[in-house]
Amino acid sequence: MDTLLEIKDLKKYFPTPKGLLHAVDGISFQVERGETLGIVGESGCGKSTLGRVCLHLLDSTGGQIIFEGKDVTQVSKHELHELRRDMQMIFQDPYSSLNPRMNVSSIIGEPLLIHKMCSSKEEFAKRVKETMDVVGLAPRTAYLYPHELDGGRRQRIGIARAIIMDPKLIVCDEPVSALDVSIQAQILNLLQELQRERKLTYMFVTHNLSVVKHISNNIAVLYLGTMAEKASSQDLFANPLHPYTKALLSAIPIAKAGAKRERIILKGEITSPINVEDRCRFAPRCLYATELCASQNPVLEEVMPNHFVACHHVREINNLK
Amino acid sequence: MAEKFLEVKNLRIEYRTEAETVYAVNGMGFDLEKGQTIGLVGETGAGKSTTALGILGLVPDPPGVVVDGEIFFEGEDLLKKSEKELREIRGGKISMIFQDPMTALNPVMTVGAQIMEVVQLHEKGLSKQEYRKKAEEMLELVGIPAGRAWEYPHQFSGGMKQRVVIAIALANNPALLIADEPTTALDVTIQAQILELINNLKEKLNTSVIMITHDLGVVAEVCDKVSIVYAGQVVESGTVVDVYDHMMHPYTQGLFDSIPDISTDGKELKAIAGQIADPANLPVGCNFSPRCPHATEECMKSEPQLREVAPGHMVRCFNCTKL
Amino acid sequence: MAKKETKQEKVKKMNDPTKKVRFRFLREIIHRYCKNRLAVAGFIILILFALAAIFADYVAPYWYDDQDISRRLMNPCWEFPCGTDQFGRCVLSRLIYGSRISIEVGFVAVGISLLAGGILGMISAYYNKLDNIIMRIMDLFQAIPNTLLAITIAATLGSGMMNLMIAVGISNVPRYARVVRAEVLRVKESEFIEAATSIGASSWRIMIRHILPNSLSPIIVQVTLGIAGAIISASALSFLGFGLSAPIPEWGAMLSDGRQFIRTQWYLCVFPGLCIMILVYALNIMGDGLRDALDPRLKK
Repeated sequence: MDTLLEIKDLKKYFPTPKGLLHAVDGISFQVERGETLGIVGESGCGKSTLGRVCLHLLDSTGGQIIFEGKDVTQVSKHELHELRRDMQMIFQDPYSSLNPRMNVSSIIGEPLLIHKMCSSKEEFAKRVKETMDVVGLAPRTAYLYPHELDGGRRQRIGIARAIIMDPKLIVCDEPVSALDVSIQAQILNLLQELQRERKLTYMFVTHNLSVVKHISNNIAVLYLGTMAEKASSQDLFANPLHPYTKALLSAIPIAKAGAKRERIILKGEITSPINVEDRCRFAPRCLYATELCASQNPVLEEVMPNHFVACHHVREINNLK
Repeated sequence: MAEKFLEVKNLRIEYRTEAETVYAVNGMGFDLEKGQTIGLVGETGAGKSTTALGILGLVPDPPGVVVDGEIFFEGEDLLKKSEKELREIRGGKISMIFQDPMTALNPVMTVGAQIMEVVQLHEKGLSKQEYRKKAEEMLELVGIPAGRAWEYPHQFSGGMKQRVVIAIALANNPALLIADEPTTALDVTIQAQILELINNLKEKLNTSVIMITHDLGVVAEVCDKVSIVYAGQVVESGTVVDVYDHMMHPYTQGLFDSIPDISTDGKELKAIAGQIADPANLPVGCNFSPRCPHATEECMKSEPQLREVAPGHMVRCFNCTKL
Repeated sequence: MAKKETKQEKVKKMNDPTKKVRFRFLREIIHRYCKNRLAVAGFIILILFALAAIFADYVAPYWYDDQDISRRLMNPCWEFPCGTDQFGRCVLSRLIYGSRISIEVGFVAVGISLLAGGILGMISAYYNKLDNIIMRIMDLFQAIPNTLLAITIAATLGSGMMNLMIAVGISNVPRYARVVRAEVLRVKESEFIEAATSIGASSWRIMIRHILPNSLSPIIVQVTLGIAGAIISASALSFLGFGLSAPIPEWGAMLSDGRQFIRTQWYLCVFPGLCIMILVYALNIMGDGLRDALDPRLKK
């Protein structure tokens, strides 16, 4: 396999008046070229921070981010500028992620100007027009301002801006959660089509489990800055092993009449990520928590081939050997 | 035939500004029996929330104008009531849960005091002790220990706040509860808790609920009936089984095809082409015709009416039986 | 009728969003501003004052320092519509020449505050370490009443037109520093700034291309309202004797001079007072109009 991005023991802490906030706390994974890694979790699990740290939009507190063999945390300013071409981001909010004072064509073309990739105005216009075509924006929208377009079209602008430089990796931070279902499906199809045509690699950050299953090859489930479980998307949904993943999957309302399933209702809510102690982050809400869970943080281990779980009792719970 | 508990007939609401008229609700109609739950499902700008505001008489005027329609609640037309009478009904017989629990609570009042306030408005002449007790009871009903009644909203998490909002809405034992996207701002595991709570309370208190949402999954969990709304009109309505298992309208089909299904391995989603109808600039003929894969010339010219395709199952489409 | 239609067509063509039109954003703002009649009236008043100031030599019937004791303290009449003062000077002419001073003081003083305040505000918003220091100093300045601060500065610098402008300008620096800092901080947090970073934009580009255009509107409004405030401050200083020395026709100074005759010659106070009031009012309604026109949320 050809690894594009490798994260090793990545940490990101934010200082707050109450103490250190552990947004990302020792996460490791690899993303293969051309595949999609889904990052799922509820609010406050650090998934958005993780995406931003991977692109070096935020400095990491510790750990390594290796992109095509280069450690992103160690590169010079100049190298980082070059790297930006290959790593792009699509943002959640199509309303606030576009500069309201710039028209569509200059938003989409800005990366070309920054990286001096066009020699003439004609070439610039041509590249922008081509990209607009690819993402399905009509040429007549080129001189409109973002507020004159609806959410779906605005998100297409964001996608166009991300792909115009032919990047290798795109971090998608909840790209469809602000959109209506019928528009959401259009955007998901567009993202998949682009991936096929351009061999893109996605890191797809979302809280929407059905979307992540649809688009990802592998899925990582985060809880309070740590990884609870990682597996291929089929495996994870067919056979969730971590108690949190089980509860999460059973909580999704299914759009079928009479689809009332056996449901695990979790007690309480996510605990504070500030000044966490060395223990399983999920223990306070877990049905199976023991003293061990309260005193030691479980490590991620490969329980089944390509199926990683961080839980002390994963074997007992699932009746594995 | 027995009198319906709530019946909305041909409701039309417009927002008129100098620049344009937004046709937010265009002949909305549905009915509801005591103890039933109906889901209004639709996308942004479909007029779901405006309908809810219309029922409560809270359409902001100007620019909002209720142009036409009747809303019968327990046999009386709410649109003919005076502001004073409506104020009696709001928070009393009909109450509402808003989408965002973070902004729905007053940050400088304890949650208990906020519940007491609503109770005091509609149920006069109790002693302070009794009001306090009532507030604590309400919180326990929604699963919050009474000991936390005199804490401030910021001391509660998102899910707990939504419970408080529900407690306030239910404080006067309303006959009708309108829930506008009550779980959209919450995480899935918390959403599951809240949906379970709503289901339990519904049974316990025999409250009718109008559930406004864009999530077909949520409707399947809690509703008996469902109306699919597009551009201010009901395009399909019926029991959950009717609509989910025997859907007839192309928009309903499109909606279901747009959701990635976790139980199957769909490759590509069948998205609905085009953009959501702009309520300020509605198409001629069927509102859905510009996006409809089956649109004929007739659809572009004249507007279809709701037809009963099976008992209680209404569809607004010329061609639904042919498809 | 036909003419009107062509005009409408022209407007339609200009507003056609699919065509590339230069400064379409600006044109829309002007269009929205023009819908507010009161604001347009304010603008016209300002233009009238500006024209009077520029063409004072042609408009004013007399030179501002044309003294003639024989016609001192005359009531308003055909020849002297606003009467004459104790030296027999035409009050109307003095008012017209005075508009030069007031407008100049207003704009230059605000220019000084905006420049100093803007730079300080930007630095504060950008460099967290300096933020606390700069802002606490600004707080210190703000703790002193504005006029008192201006008087102190004016008294230190001595009288004179430039010193007056500096005094008024400096006393308003904290206000601009605050507005600019708040705006830059707000815009800096937007997702599109992060998006710009992610495509590799330099800090300089982010500042000029992304932050500045998006933080301008409240600053423009503040400037319009600030000019009105500066004119009042300048007049107040002159009234108190810290501003311009005779015979320069400053409105505040004229008001001050007229005070001793207020029982008999009411017009010596009323007309300069009216001038200050009308100009300040015009600037204020312009500021309000701009605030509405620049707010894209009010678009629909």
